Amino acid sequence: MQAKAAVNQKSGNTLNNAFASHFAKSMFLSVTALAILSFIGTRMFTHVDLNLYGYMVGTIVFIGGFFYRFIAWGERPPTKLILKKGLKLLFRKSTPKTSVEHLATYNFIWNRGIYRWTQHVLIGWGCILSCFVTFPLVFGWMYFTMDNNGHYNIIAMGMKVMTVPAEGIIANLSYNALNITAVMVIAGVCMALYRRLKNMQARAEQKFLYDFLPLYMLLLVSITGLALTFMNIFLHGAGQPAMSLIHQWSVIITLIYLPFGKLAHIPFRPMSVLARNYREHYAEQGMKECKVCGDQFVSIEQSKDVVDVLGVNTIEFKAKEGHHLAEMCLPCRRKYRIAQFSGFPTHEVKVKEANQNAKG
Amino acid sequence: MKKRLYLELENCIGCRSCLAACTQCGGHEERNRNYVYDVNPLVNRQTMPLMCLHCENPACARSCPAQAIQIHETGAVLSALVEKCIGCQNCTIACPYGIPKFDQEQNIMYKCDLCIDRTKDGIPPMCASVCPSNTLQWLTDEEIENKKKQFNLDNGKWVTSMPYLEGETNVKVNLPGILQGITKLF
Ligand code: HEM
Ligand code: SF4
Ligand code: SF4
Repeated sequence: MQAKAAVNQKSGNTLNNAFASHFAKSMFLSVTALAILSFIGTRMFTHVDLNLYGYMVGTIVFIGGFFYRFIAWGERPPTKLILKKGLKLLFRKSTPKTSVEHLATYNFIWNRGIYRWTQHVLIGWGCILSCFVTFPLVFGWMYFTMDNNGHYNIIAMGMKVMTVPAEGIIANLSYNALNITAVMVIAGVCMALYRRLKNMQARAEQKFLYDFLPLYMLLLVSITGLALTFMNIFLHGAGQPAMSLIHQWSVIITLIYLPFGKLAHIPFRPMSVLARNYREHYAEQGMKECKVCGDQFVSIEQSKDVVDVLGVNTIEFKAKEGHHLAEMCLPCRRKYRIAQFSGFPTHEVKVKEANQNAKG
Repeated sequence: MKKRLYLELENCIGCRSCLAACTQCGGHEERNRNYVYDVNPLVNRQTMPLMCLHCENPACARSCPAQAIQIHETGAVLSALVEKCIGCQNCTIACPYGIPKFDQEQNIMYKCDLCIDRTKDGIPPMCASVCPSNTLQWLTDEEIENKKKQFNLDNGKWVTSMPYLEGETNVKVNLPGILQGITKLF
C-alpha cells in the first residue's frame, strides 16, 4: 500500500518539476567532471589537441541529450520502480556474473542465433573499443610523446605509464586500434543490413529514422575513419583535412542521435541486470500463488508492483471474484477470459492447457 | 479503408490453422503467439481462439519499464523491440488476458503484433487469412456494423467489448449465436 502511495505521489508532480532541476544538476556535474579530468589529464591544458575540438563539443551536446532522455524515461512509474529497487539490490552475489553475461558476452543474443550474436559482438565491441581509445585522446586523458631513441611514451592522466618501441607490437596495435575496430563495425553493420534483406523479422518493424539511420551512421563513421588511415599511408595525406572534417561530423551526428534512436539501448541496457536481480531477489522472498490453480508464477513483490503501476495509469483489472487479474497465472488468466465469453468456468476445470504450440 | 480483426468465437472448430499460420509470419521465427482453448475439455468439443486484442490503453505497454512495446499508428500493439526488452516480464503479469509469451533463454518477450508488416498495408493477418470457419475475419467498421444489424440482437447484447473485456480494444470480439441462444456449445 505504501509503495502505491509513493508511486502515486511521484507521478503527480509531473516531469517538468523534477525535470529542470535533475537535468540541470546532472548536466552541471558531468561537465564539471569532464573539465576537471581534462584539466588534470592535459597538465593544466598544456596538451590539448585542437584537431579534436569538434569531438569535445559533440560529446557535451551528447551528454545534454542523454540526460534529457534518461531523466524523462526514469520518471515513468514502471521504470522508476525497477531502477529504485534494482539499485538497492546491486550488490547481490550474482551481479558480476549477470553483468558479464548481459553486457559483455551477450549470451542471450547467442540463444537468439549465432548470426545475430556475431553481428552484435562485432558492432558492440567495435564501438566500445573505439570509445576506449578515442575518448581519452579527445579529453587529453591519454596522449603519446616520443623520445629521441625511437620509443613512445604512453601518458595517461598526466603520468607516464609505459614506454614502448615505436615499431613494437604494442605500438602497432595502438596505431591500428581504430582501424581494427572500424573493420569490426563495418563487418557487423553489413551483417545487419544483409539480415534486413533476408530475414523478415528485421524487416517488419523498420522505420528509416529508427532502424536504418543508426546503421548508416555507424558505417559512415567507420568508413571515413578507415579512409583517413588510407590517405595518410598511401596518398601521403592528400585530402586528409576534408576527410577529417567529414569523419568528425559523422561522429558528432551519431553521438547526438544516440540518445533518441535505436542506439539508445546502449546506455539503457544495464537495466537488464537490475531487472534480473529484482526478479531473483524477490523470487527468493516469496512467490505468488495463482488464485485459481495455486501455481507459483511470479514473486509476490512483482505482482504487487505491477498492480500498483497499472493503478497509476488508472488501469484496474478486478475480477468479479474479488482479486486482481494479475493474481492469476497466465494459463488460468487466459482460460478465465474464455470463461467470460462462454459463460462456462473453463478455468475451474482441472485440465492443463494443451496443444498450444504449433510446430512451424 | 481501415479494417480490423473481428472474432466470432463460437464458429471455431479447433483446427488450429491460426496457430500454424502464425508461426509463418515474417519475424515470428516459427513460434505461434496465439491460443486456442477447449471451453469444457472433459465434456464437449467447443473451442475458442484467444489472441492479443490490441487494447486501446494497453496494460502491457504501460507496465514496461523499457518502453519496448510500441503502439503502431494503426493501433496495433507491437511485440517487444529486440534491443530494448530487458526481460523483466512485467508485461506478462499486466496483460489482463495473459497474452505475452516470454523466452527465458533469449531473455525477451514476444507477442502478437497483428502481423504488422501485412496489416499496415491492409493485408489481413496470417490467422485471419487461413481461418476456415470465419471465426477470424478482417473487416471494415461498416461491415461489422452490418453484422450487428443482421444478428438483430437486443440492445447491450452485441458484445464487442465490455463487460466481456476489460477495456476498449482494436480487435472486436463477438459470439452472436450464443448470445441469441440459437447456437449451443459443441
Ligand atoms: C551495453 C551492452 C549492450 C547490450 C546489452 C546490447 C544489446 C542489444 C540487443 C539485445 C540487441 C538486439 C539484437 C538481436 O536480437 O538481434 C542489440 C542490437 C543492436 N546493438 Fe546493442 N547492445 C549493447 C551495446 C551496443 C553497442 C556499444 C553498440 C554500438 C553502437 C550496439 C549496437 C547495436 C546495433 C546497431 C543493434 C541493431 C542490430 C540490428 O538492427 O540488426 N550495441 N543490442
Ligand atoms: S491484450 Fe494484452 S498483450 Fe494485447 S495489447 Fe492488451 S494488454 Fe497488451
Ligand atoms: S519483459 Fe520486456 S517487453 Fe515485457 S515489460 Fe519487461 S522489458 Fe517490457
